[in-house]
Amino acid sequence: MTFTISRRTFLAAAALAPVTTRLAMAAGAPLRIGYSMCLTGLFAQAAPSQVNAYELWKDQVNAAGGLDIGDGQRRPVEFVSYDDQSNPANAVRIYEKLITQDKVDLLAAPWSTPIHLAIAPVLARHKFPMVGNTAASVKLREVKPGYIWFPTAVIPDKVGEELAAFMARENVKTAAVFANVLPLAQEIKTYLLPALEKNGIKLVANEDFPPDIKDMTTLISGANQSSPDAFIVLSYPSDTFLFATQAKQLNVKAPFVLSLIGPTIQAYQQAFGTGANNMVTVGHWSPNQSKWPRAKPFFDAYLAKYKEAPDALDSVLSFMSMEILAQAVATAGLDKEKLRETIASATFDTINGPVKFDGVQNTATPTSFLQIQDGSLELVWPESIKTRDFRPKTGW
Amino acid sequence: MTGKPFMIAAFAIVAGLMALVPQLGSEYWLGVAFIVAMWIALIQSWSLLSATTGYISLGHAVFYGIGAYVLVVSLDWMPVPYALALSGAAAGLLALVVGLPVLRVKGPYFVILTFGFAELVKNLVMLLETRLGQFSRMIFDAPSLEALYYAMLVLAVIATAIAAWTAQSRFGRGLAAIRENEVAAEAIGVPVTRLKLFAFVASAIIPGIVGGLLVLRTSYFAADQAFDPAVSFTIVTTAIVGGLGRVSGPLLGTLFLVILSELLWARFPQAYMMILGGLLIVFILFVPQGLAGLIRKGLGRA
Repeated sequence: MTFTISRRTFLAAAALAPVTTRLAMAAGAPLRIGYSMCLTGLFAQAAPSQVNAYELWKDQVNAAGGLDIGDGQRRPVEFVSYDDQSNPANAVRIYEKLITQDKVDLLAAPWSTPIHLAIAPVLARHKFPMVGNTAASVKLREVKPGYIWFPTAVIPDKVGEELAAFMARENVKTAAVFANVLPLAQEIKTYLLPALEKNGIKLVANEDFPPDIKDMTTLISGANQSSPDAFIVLSYPSDTFLFATQAKQLNVKAPFVLSLIGPTIQAYQQAFGTGANNMVTVGHWSPNQSKWPRAKPFFDAYLAKYKEAPDALDSVLSFMSMEILAQAVATAGLDKEKLRETIASATFDTINGPVKFDGVQNTATPTSFLQIQDGSLELVWPESIKTRDFRPKTGW
Repeated sequence: MTGKPFMIAAFAIVAGLMALVPQLGSEYWLGVAFIVAMWIALIQSWSLLSATTGYISLGHAVFYGIGAYVLVVSLDWMPVPYALALSGAAAGLLALVVGLPVLRVKGPYFVILTFGFAELVKNLVMLLETRLGQFSRMIFDAPSLEALYYAMLVLAVIATAIAAWTAQSRFGRGLAAIRENEVAAEAIGVPVTRLKLFAFVASAIIPGIVGGLLVLRTSYFAADQAFDPAVSFTIVTTAIVGGLGRVSGPLLGTLFLVILSELLWARFPQAYMMILGGLLIVFILFVPQGLAGLIRKGLGRA
């Protein structure tokens, strides 16, 4: 009698064991991930594309029972975040606080190149690994490899070379180049100009403009006089919108038109409708790349949660950085040194395909270009990952 | 107890306590103390010109920015202390060169001119950096936070000492005369132009060094960030909340606002900006003497 009962009890307990342990673990102490964000100040408008991606990632992880921290254990995730007022000095203080006061388990990246670069020494000092995201500059390579990594493929020297090669392939012979004086635009221009010359593309206009430019008509109509094949506008969001408005008014006829930052934001297409059609921009992700099976589900989930499409640059990079972190933690656990070794050496499977770091840089994702085609963002360069062929711009 | 020794003792205690912060062994609190010392140094320097003469400068970020720029450029050729000295010298020189024309205008025109000048210099530096093919600059092997903190604390103490000395010197009385009635001051023989220029240059040097120290702390320089006009606005706001024309004003204003922001920025950053705006209105309308004035009144009654 006693034997049967105990056996039955044992079997029941054995059957229930995995369930109860998983529940117990998921309900256990949450894993805290800290980051600073630009809720106010200079970059405040851009910050939601990052924070939204983080929140979506958290929802998905928690819905799956928590973050896998190795050994089959899962813990629910929560964020600890502070506003850095878009100020690198504040961000430095916030990361110090997250590490030394709040004692968070993991870190997520802040917004913007300056803030990434500013906190790199803090991470090195505390030997705390962090996967970066929204930073793009040749300066990133000067950061001592160790505790920070940059998954972006928008590295200005490569963007300059690839863009010139892409333009040459599309039979561009003459080009007008306008560049915002802010760092990313100027860096790209520095590498673009010699590459254009190398590819035999003639420059008909080459002008810089200030960040708060209110009128581009003189720039555009000046270039229009020599009707170039390409308008390359190395712009930031507000001037990207200004350029599209005025290019339409002044009837820019060039078949190849690029704006640097802005066309990947959904508001751009909403504002210009068919006028945005066939605009080229910088970016290395499209939901339509079938080689990346996670790309479309990410797009759909983001759309469902926020009622707008993810920003193909910043939301994607932010989500990728969390995927990389999650996969590294599943292998290495929470030990900082093991985590660092794993991030530095493993290959990760992300919504943007495989990612692998060499030093601080992701060498697996090619530098690519996107084009808005009938309301959808398509990869049009390079050959290896393109989702559609380039289409000449025919009107506004 | 008479006012003066009491005040000196109070300042010495505050400085002594701040010097002990590194002993806490908390990098976070050291960072907070660094910011406190930074604002005290900036606001005391600003007060030297603006609170004493009534020439309200809304462009003090220009000296701070130029200091940051000079430091990051000169660091390639010289060790940190010399580069910092050069930062201060460059800011002082800039004030000397622009001082004469700028100080000719008064009231709101001076406010607008200083703000415009700061934006002009910011754009010039951005243009220059672009032409040089430098888009942003990084610093490697910056000194430790502890070293930077002591340097900042020394600046805060020097700025406060200068403010205290000015308040009771012939120089300070001359500046006060300019504030009360510049024409009358000139008529009775106050060397108005020389005093104003001297105050302007003196109020620029420390912000120049502060800018250099801050860029060492963040190890990154980009012109649009270094010349951030928010720095100028914060200086004026904190000075008003603390109390214009009193040596303890910048100290109280800084401590109050830094503590407030530490408490609020954790969870309610937008609320912080709103509260700051509200406080500014309340202080200008109802507490024109600032926190320093309130405390003095409170002590007088007691």
